[in-house]
Amino acid sequence: MTNLLLMAGVFVFSFVVGYFLISRIPTLLHTPLMSMTNAISAVTILGVLILFSVTSTRSEQIIGSVAFIMAAFNLVGGFAITDRMLRMFRKKQREGKK
Amino acid sequence: MPQTYAFGNLVLDFCVIGILILGIWLFRRPFLAKYGNLAAAFALLCAAILVISRNGIMHPNIVVFCLLAGAVPGVWVARKITMIQIPAMVAFQHGAGGIAAFFLSLAELMRGFEHLGAMNEISGLLGLAIGALTFSGSMVAAGKLSGRLGQTPTILPHHTRLVMANLGAMIVLVIAAFFAPAGAVLVFYLLIIVLSILFGIVFSIRIGGADMPVLISFLNATAGVAAAFCGMIIENQLLIACGATVAASGSILTHVMCKAMNRSLFHVFVPKKRPEKSGAGSGTEPDTPALSGLAPPAAEQAPKVEKPASNPFETAADLARNAETVIIVPGYGMAVAQAQFDVIELSSKLVSMGKKVVFAIHPVAGRMPGHMNVLLAEAGVDYDMLAEMDDINPAFSQTDLCFVIGACDVVNPAAMETDGSPISGMPILRSHEAKHVVCCNLDDKPGYSGVENSLYKNSNTVMLLGNAKETIRQVVENLSEEQPHEKGARSETGTGIQPQDRKQENFLDAAVVQLVSAQKIIIIPGYGMALAQAQFKVVELADLLASMGAQVAFAIHPVAGRMPGHMNVLLAEAEVDYDKLVEMDDINPAFSQTDVALIFGACDVVNPAAMETDGSPISGMPILRAHEAKTVVVCNFDANPGYSGVDNTLYADPKTIMLLGDAAATASDLIAGVKKAQ
Repeated sequence: MTNLLLMAGVFVFSFVVGYFLISRIPTLLHTPLMSMTNAISAVTILGVLILFSVTSTRSEQIIGSVAFIMAAFNLVGGFAITDRMLRMFRKKQREGKK
Repeated sequence: MPQTYAFGNLVLDFCVIGILILGIWLFRRPFLAKYGNLAAAFALLCAAILVISRNGIMHPNIVVFCLLAGAVPGVWVARKITMIQIPAMVAFQHGAGGIAAFFLSLAELMRGFEHLGAMNEISGLLGLAIGALTFSGSMVAAGKLSGRLGQTPTILPHHTRLVMANLGAMIVLVIAAFFAPAGAVLVFYLLIIVLSILFGIVFSIRIGGADMPVLISFLNATAGVAAAFCGMIIENQLLIACGATVAASGSILTHVMCKAMNRSLFHVFVPKKRPEKSGAGSGTEPDTPALSGLAPPAAEQAPKVEKPASNPFETAADLARNAETVIIVPGYGMAVAQAQFDVIELSSKLVSMGKKVVFAIHPVAGRMPGHMNVLLAEAGVDYDMLAEMDDINPAFSQTDLCFVIGACDVVNPAAMETDGSPISGMPILRSHEAKHVVCCNLDDKPGYSGVENSLYKNSNTVMLLGNAKETIRQVVENLSEEQPHEKGARSETGTGIQPQDRKQENFLDAAVVQLVSAQKIIIIPGYGMALAQAQFKVVELADLLASMGAQVAFAIHPVAGRMPGHMNVLLAEAEVDYDKLVEMDDINPAFSQTDVALIFGACDVVNPAAMETDGSPISGMPILRAHEAKTVVVCNFDANPGYSGVDNTLYADPKTIMLLGDAAATASDLIAGVKKAQ
């Protein structure tokens, strides 16, 4: 039960903090933002790592491998493309507005 | 697997979450965003190290193999992709995230269904369903955004009921799976997956191209929720926290996009039937044309395009005389008319006049592979001048004049623009992107495919019908004459009305005059700019105007383009300083003090009808107030309504100068004009 409360708490806390932080991000950066959060959603890779940390059956391994490959693609590709995009935003003088 | 977390572990978890939040916090400033991204990546790396150090790895070989198998293509694609493809790429990655989430849920459920707690099992089932629908929905979105699927909404009979029934069945199955006996659960899991995938498809195929920003943001949110549910099965705080953050981000973006389009989420996902503008051809329902991209079918509805009434041969010769770059597209008609020698004569004439001439060879032009090459080689053409389709296609937009000689289907833009016709998706030579096209075909009937060629109806196309041998001979003759205008009477239709493109030039001159004298200029980019790939030209124009002392800013509407912030990325790619990119609310008060508002491929987002009329689909939608500027220059493809179907009252405003046609071409013309005026 404490576990459940803790989990619910973490969810609500992250959602609220995330909500406030993200509402203040300028629209200028919305595409890179989506691209980065997309990469973050590949955090499921941690779950797959945990799956591979205990004994598993063949079918679990196959399913896990697929999940792992897709998550790795999403994670690494997502951060890489966000980085490339952000490097194109030229910086000159100070920041823009907001 | 439930794990007992020691207090220290919990602290470490929160440190990682802290770094992640720091990363997002850094996104508030454009010049810090890069570090924000790295911080977030670092947070996930730390998280992975934490997980491995706590649990160890049972199968290191599988882990390393999978990591490489995913990461290498990920980096490769990320490096290779162009900015115009970003929306499709992001959608595809949402799908990858979705598939990872639902496979993880499946694996966890299969492993632990006897001893999972009730909460974990419910989370697992939800993770399964949401992950699967995110996957299929994203794949549809990626297909639409990359142009592999049709842009138009696909509406099945009883679509809404279908979606609802599907959703209902999913909920019933999730409940049933929860109470099902251990032996039968696997069947239920599979059924949930199948139904969820189906749901994702049914749900997203009815969403049209211009509503994609909402869909893609929504899928971002669902991918986050799926990840959070995965975290709940295995009781891992990091997964939950990251998933929740992503869900928050996706929800905000969804909300912002809806608000900016003046649509409720419900109406985007359950679109109302639009009144059909014309009974014919629902396949060509404007959608991409909406924000005025490359949409020649629309030209049919633009009667203001008067066909040049003067002798078309002279017009053609005139065009050829003024062109610097010429592409010749030969087709089977040339072979039939045995006109290749005359074509070569034409090309050598042009070359001798200092023009750059290239032949564009479509792989299926003619009746056998390489047919055209053989014919032209026979007529003695230099093979350096023969270019293959993929090599020449990017060059059309920078080409002044394109001669189409006896080719039809291979230059029919309908292949790119309409759905469901026999030639949809067929690769074509993009002659419609050239500034002017001269068609020397026997007739203007459809080609082999039976599909009307929309190129023929474009305002910048001159049709020279008849036997290609004859028509080309005439063009060559006209070319050899000194002053073609003096000879206006030599043909049957020499009524002396100005050709259409001459009129355009007058508008262009007027626009140039305004631009040169303007102090404050605001540029409004829309999806049409993205479609025409005009961002580089637009930025070149902006830089030129700025160098002449004008104040230039870009006004960015939140839903311009196909995903949140799409215009910003395109302009950043073209190296615009981000402090020149101004959000709607900040720039709107400035329009009334602005001399020229320059619109590239934007329609609904600058339609004053949104503020002035009631009851139209866009009433109340926030817009960029371009109409308050002293002069408005519209560089759109056509004057048709945008996605909303509401006529743009700005176009009729007397202070508006309309420069219709391909935005990139218009921008180049403006650059040339301004340079000349300098």
